[in-house]
Amino acid sequence: MGHKLAQTARYILLTAALLFALAPVYWMLTISFKTEVEQFAVPPPWFVFTPTPNHYHDAFVTRGFGNYLLNSAIVAVTSTACALVIGTLAAYALARFQLPWRLNRRLSLWILSTRMFPAIVTAVPLFLMMRDVQLLNTRLSLIIVYTGFNLPFVVWMMRGFFADLPRDLEEAALVDGDSRMGALVRVVLPLVAPGLAATAVFCLIVSWNEFLFALVLTQTDASTTLPVGIAGSVTQFEIKWGVMSAAATVAIVPILVFALSLQKYLVRGLSMGAVKG
Amino acid sequence: MRPALSLFLIFLVLLASCTKPRKQLTLAVVAGVEGEALKQAAVDYEAQTGVHIEIAQFPYSNLFEKELIDLKARSRAYDLIMMDDPWFQRFAHEKVLTDLTPLLQRLGQSGPDPDFVDTSIALCRDPYKTGSLYALPYVGNSQLFFYRKDLFEKYELKPPATWDDVLTAAKTIHEKENTGADGEKMYGYVMRAAQGNAAVADFMPIFWAFGGEMFDASGKPTVNSPQGIAALQFMIDLGKLSPPGYASFNADDVGAHLLQGTAAMSINWPAWISAFSDQSKSKVIGKMEFTTLPGAEKSGQAEIGNWLIAIPRDSTNAQAAAEFLVWATSAAQMKRSAQRGNPPTRKSLFQDAELVAKNPAYPAQLRSLESSRPRPRTPYWNEIENAFGIFLSKANSGELTAADAMNEANAEIEKILQRAQ
Amino acid sequence: MQKSRRFFNARNKRELLLPALFLAPAMAVLLALSIYPLIYSITISLQQQTGPDVSWGLGNFTRLLSDNFFLTALAHTFVYAVAALTCEFLLGLGLALLLNKQIRGRGIFRASLLIPMMLPTVVVGVVWRLMLNSNFGAINGTLKEFGLNTESLTWTASPKLAMLSVIAVDVWQWTPFVFLVLLAGLQAIPQEPYEAALIDGSSRWQTFRHVTLPLLKPSILIVLLLRTMDLLRVFDQIFILTEGGPGFATETISLYIYRTAFRFFDFGYAAAMSFVLLALTNVISALYIKFLQAKETI
Repeated sequence: MGHKLAQTARYILLTAALLFALAPVYWMLTISFKTEVEQFAVPPPWFVFTPTPNHYHDAFVTRGFGNYLLNSAIVAVTSTACALVIGTLAAYALARFQLPWRLNRRLSLWILSTRMFPAIVTAVPLFLMMRDVQLLNTRLSLIIVYTGFNLPFVVWMMRGFFADLPRDLEEAALVDGDSRMGALVRVVLPLVAPGLAATAVFCLIVSWNEFLFALVLTQTDASTTLPVGIAGSVTQFEIKWGVMSAAATVAIVPILVFALSLQKYLVRGLSMGAVKG
Repeated sequence: MRPALSLFLIFLVLLASCTKPRKQLTLAVVAGVEGEALKQAAVDYEAQTGVHIEIAQFPYSNLFEKELIDLKARSRAYDLIMMDDPWFQRFAHEKVLTDLTPLLQRLGQSGPDPDFVDTSIALCRDPYKTGSLYALPYVGNSQLFFYRKDLFEKYELKPPATWDDVLTAAKTIHEKENTGADGEKMYGYVMRAAQGNAAVADFMPIFWAFGGEMFDASGKPTVNSPQGIAALQFMIDLGKLSPPGYASFNADDVGAHLLQGTAAMSINWPAWISAFSDQSKSKVIGKMEFTTLPGAEKSGQAEIGNWLIAIPRDSTNAQAAAEFLVWATSAAQMKRSAQRGNPPTRKSLFQDAELVAKNPAYPAQLRSLESSRPRPRTPYWNEIENAFGIFLSKANSGELTAADAMNEANAEIEKILQRAQ
Repeated sequence: MQKSRRFFNARNKRELLLPALFLAPAMAVLLALSIYPLIYSITISLQQQTGPDVSWGLGNFTRLLSDNFFLTALAHTFVYAVAALTCEFLLGLGLALLLNKQIRGRGIFRASLLIPMMLPTVVVGVVWRLMLNSNFGAINGTLKEFGLNTESLTWTASPKLAMLSVIAVDVWQWTPFVFLVLLAGLQAIPQEPYEAALIDGSSRWQTFRHVTLPLLKPSILIVLLLRTMDLLRVFDQIFILTEGGPGFATETISLYIYRTAFRFFDFGYAAAMSFVLLALTNVISALYIKFLQAKETI
């Protein structure tokens, strides 16, 4: 009896948590489909309203959100690819070669520490540097910054995945006459492919969501990303709630698809590889 | 995992296929009605001349930093910039704007058209009124006093000529409209006291009317003068008749209350006027009246808040930019801008029969504009406004008394000026 | 074993070449994007713009001490970090303990709780601006439905409630993170110590205190470390939700640095403040990592 009661209480609490987590997102979704009149209606219509696609049309056809979406996609994909290539090589070296002067550990910790820098600390100098090399307001500047931003994460994640693999496999490949590079590409990488994909998705999410650097480094539609565009739909006299919600809804679709595909590696990724959930 | 990635890539390719034509001029504008009119003008201009103009649009709070960053960094992202007039002094101080006179001369004009309102063109010169011309005025905003004609008639109140009249009227309306029966709550007054620009803009006309001055003749801050403290105390008293939370209101909240008919009076910008007759937005069609600002010790003076257009010093297309600038501020084009809801900066347009018929507030607007006062002309206005606004907002939210807020604000402003020295 | 040593031990110079080549690009990128900016930052923080001239000195750092805005922002950052961390940790731990049982629908709970923390912080700001708006937001609207007087509940507009509101938003977004990591930690704990505790006749609380908590310590530390770093640098949500207002009520260090750098263009002073933030972050993370290293979890 007591057990059943406890079970019921457990479900009630969990359902409350679930509603609390989802209700705000659902509310935003409804706003993106409501007319102005219904957006401001009191009492708020949670379920019953007449949906309109106008805000989506306004955001992506009339306004430049289509362009921002493109910028976001290009920046996220390119910077992820760069971080993966550079980071995987470094991670392999740290995981598989014994370096002198305890460098394996020292370098790893140093790489981790760069990830701990608060973004605003590097935002000011990076802005001035980008200005000096005339890269302000280009997608390239964001790609460079995000590559650096994701790199420590890739190194830590991939180092963990490499460490999980038994060394015998590479040795066997080497005995079979492969070069070390060959062993890495033909034997090791296929085995860590799922981990690599999970790491890639994490990097995509981080780059897709990033706001501060994008805010600082972009100036026109040529480089503005979705988060900056969304933040920009606040005008002096009114806030375009519908447009803002429509753009935000579109911004979270790829994120949700990715996040749900990640479940297996989620905890490991979120804790920089420290907890192997 | 794989379907997710391929989905993303398809998405990317689709987007990549829609590329834009090459631009020839880039124009930084503010998001909202002022920028919207200029965007429209840019489209017309392209149709007429074939010159493509790319628009970079930012919310008010970001526009200044984007422009100054670009101009100081010489990254040449913009060929024309739209700016709120209190920013002008900073741009001029940084020497990042093009002197327009030679460009105008090349277009056959000896100087700015005398048709521009004097107070507007004065803003475009550095030093103020007398110096070289670095911008042209595009939107002729100056504050107006908005009130509900119908309620004033209903309770036999006289049109507000002084701030005391305003307080009395607000009290009357507040008491009589909220009898506790049914319907929405009605507030006597609505103002915006969010930190920064909002609080300062709504405070300045009261401050000036009470005889306050931000600086004395030697340039020392004097906001904590007895007049200044009295003005802030008055603002707080009036705030008691404002909707709760007004200490974080921005223009959008004030507009929402007026349009929904839940507040009776306010200071606001003329750009709002057209919204009151828009059926999809307004519940108070035909009930609003617009007049010049009330006075107190001194006669009422509005704060001027014009939008100017300037050309960055490093623009590689200065002449093409100047051609657009002259075209956009010409009487014919500004009339179109006025038809799109922006107050003009030309005397002839304020008297244009067609426009006046559509905008009955134009005579009041011209009077307000011609007698208006600019915010202090200092390159450090942004820092000063930020600090001043924080303390005004704190006083209005009840965190500080009027005297404490003004003393602290004065000390902060003094620090800012000392650092600048 | 012998063979493996030979393969991976890079003792002589030739064998160091390959790992060096592998590491070089990453080192180059990190040097360019974090070490060089840091040095750049030091240089500009020692420069002061006085009128048209630039002078060198510690002026930007001494100014910190007399800048009330800075000190207030610092205090806000601490209040924000401590309050949010406490709530997120307690709620996350509670949820993890609740879900650390085989129950039906666990996958759904897990997947839904994942959503808030994956959202772009800008979107989180937008979502909650919609929810918390005192005139037509869903929260006050719904409370009114239940007959509550919401007139004084102005959330982000009230100096008293604004800080609470932004903290609540952080808790909403990041409790799931604490929950997921702790849940993974709980599930990695073997059964034996529990069985031993059962035999000893320990109470539930004793078991939790002496078995669960010590074994969960590595996960707890990692969660606290990562959350603390993020909380100290919070920017995006507050920037969207309140922009530091009303008044100065929710201004954190990152926001104040941003304002100083990009609105007032005082890069030197902004860099000086950045150093304080960086030093704080480093001291705190060093403390955590000391704990972590003792446990050999990394």
